[in-house]
Amino acid sequence: MVGTGIKRGTAELAILSVLEGGAMHGYEMARRIEQQTKGALRFTLAALYPMLYRMEQHGWIRGAWETSSNGRRKRCYRLTPAGRKKLSPLRREWADLFRALQRLTKVAHA
Amino acid sequence: MPDWQELVRQRLSGLALDAAEKDEIHAELAAHLEESYELFCAEGLPQREAVQRTLLQVADWQDLQRKILIARRREQPMQKRVHQLWIPGFLTLTLSMIFLITLQKLGFQPRIVGRGPNTILFYAPWMASLPFFGALGAYLSARRGGLLGTVLLTSVFPVLALTAAFLLMFPIGFVVERVIGRPVDFSIVATAILRDGVGWLLVPGVALLAGGFLVHLLFNRRSWSKETAVG
Repeated sequence: MVGTGIKRGTAELAILSVLEGGAMHGYEMARRIEQQTKGALRFTLAALYPMLYRMEQHGWIRGAWETSSNGRRKRCYRLTPAGRKKLSPLRREWADLFRALQRLTKVAHA
Repeated sequence: MPDWQELVRQRLSGLALDAAEKDEIHAELAAHLEESYELFCAEGLPQREAVQRTLLQVADWQDLQRKILIARRREQPMQKRVHQLWIPGFLTLTLSMIFLITLQKLGFQPRIVGRGPNTILFYAPWMASLPFFGALGAYLSARRGGLLGTVLLTSVFPVLALTAAFLLMFPIGFVVERVIGRPVDFSIVATAILRDGVGWLLVPGVALLAGGFLVHLLFNRRSWSKETAVG
């Protein structure tokens, strides 16, 4: 299980990444992230929505109410062009960080 | 099944947002809880346990309310400028001027560099304090989300205000001298601009900027480590 601090840092990347696959609402997003990371990243309601609202304020995602097939209204989020633009450098930064950590731990265990 | 909408409304009743926005948030969070509850029920949990497990998603409703408020707080561009530039800028200017006046009142004599009309006055203790004032302005601006340009502009704000004062002073002086019929000696004006420009603008500006830049570097490092949550 990944520690809380790292989770907080990866949250933006996780949300932007799942939204790259298409629009979805908060609950679906949390489920998708949990499934795709095999439970390593788990978003509770309390962690997810402040993050979504903040990202919406930054203009990276946009939420809009939609009615689902069962007649329920849900707020679906989409990636904006600004969000899409944010995603690739964010991916690169995290990849660099993990590579660096990997190198470091290899040296530490050598 | 609990009335999730009502539950969220009660627990987030202190959300200080406009009614429509508040309703939207209540509805969205209620929908999330409802789906979560339904999934637990579908997994075979008894209703009571499903409710408990669903409510575990929010350990502290007050904290959630505070976080939502911070995330949704919108600042208009004008408000942003006021918080990131004008307030910290004027504070830096006021404090640095109060400090200078206090030094003068306490009898600190300026350091004199040069001779005759080329004399430049330096208040050494004031100069030494300027990086701190610059850093203070920069810190206040950066804390409100100011970008590099705004942060540095805030740190040199006292010098910008002095520049504006000088720029106003010379044409006014020029007009006054014309009115009273005294010939204007441009070499004196040029010397005065150069002298005061160095003593009151250039050197203090560099000192203020040094403090501001240092804060920018520290702030950047801190936000990076906060974002990555490493170290």
